[in-house]
Amino acid sequence: MTLQTNVSFELKNSLSELPTLCEKLERIGAALEIPRRLLFEINLALDELFTNIISYGYADQSEHVIRVRFSSEDDMLTVVLEDDGIPFNPVERLPPDPPCSLEECKVGGLGIHLVKNLMDDVVYSRSGNKNVLTLKKTIEKN
Amino acid sequence: MEIIEEKRGPLSTFKLQGRLDSNTSQAFEKRIFDAMSDGTKNVVIDFKDLDYISSAGLRVILKATKALKREDGKIRLCAMQDYVKEVFEIAGFDSFLTIVPTLDDALKSM
Repeated sequence: MTLQTNVSFELKNSLSELPTLCEKLERIGAALEIPRRLLFEINLALDELFTNIISYGYADQSEHVIRVRFSSEDDMLTVVLEDDGIPFNPVERLPPDPPCSLEECKVGGLGIHLVKNLMDDVVYSRSGNKNVLTLKKTIEKN
Repeated sequence: MEIIEEKRGPLSTFKLQGRLDSNTSQAFEKRIFDAMSDGTKNVVIDFKDLDYISSAGLRVILKATKALKREDGKIRLCAMQDYVKEVFEIAGFDSFLTIVPTLDDALKSM
């Protein structure tokens, strides 16, 4: 039998929403029985993408809404992040080349590098006036 | 996030508690650089009670490491939870940072 769950929430475009993101994930993690380490990785991936969106995504100073949608089917977790910012595909940005030496180490692109490495799959699309990022990760229950 | 700072001569130890992210990284950066202005040459960062780190946190560690190196100082990181350590490894930071298992190890290596 296939077990399907869907849950979504919204965040405003402000860094002060990071604790809200964390709280929501704690609740979803408990409901979907997501192991702690995986929950940490999902939190980190969403934090990096969310921080990117609010830092570079908007040309105005207005309040915007970023929607986060969780769905799980069997052991596959899908997270969709949707924002109405300027068109931006973080996936096509060139990754840094770690491991690097201290002198060569640059922090630009580090967040996206983490996201790509922590998730199994990251896909970008532009839908109407929205950036849609779809993350996939297998849930390995202990 | 809580930052507990202990200073002994040129050595400052920072014990981090909670979450090091975009909201808290600036406060931590200020504490390290204030300590350096105050004569700190060597830094130990204790991660035992740190539950979370993002690239904003890594950025502060990198900046501090570069600044300490310019002053011929040393930095040691210790007692990381395994998923926090994984973030350092994915970022490639473990190639130029000394990460040791316990606070004792860090202090002895200074």
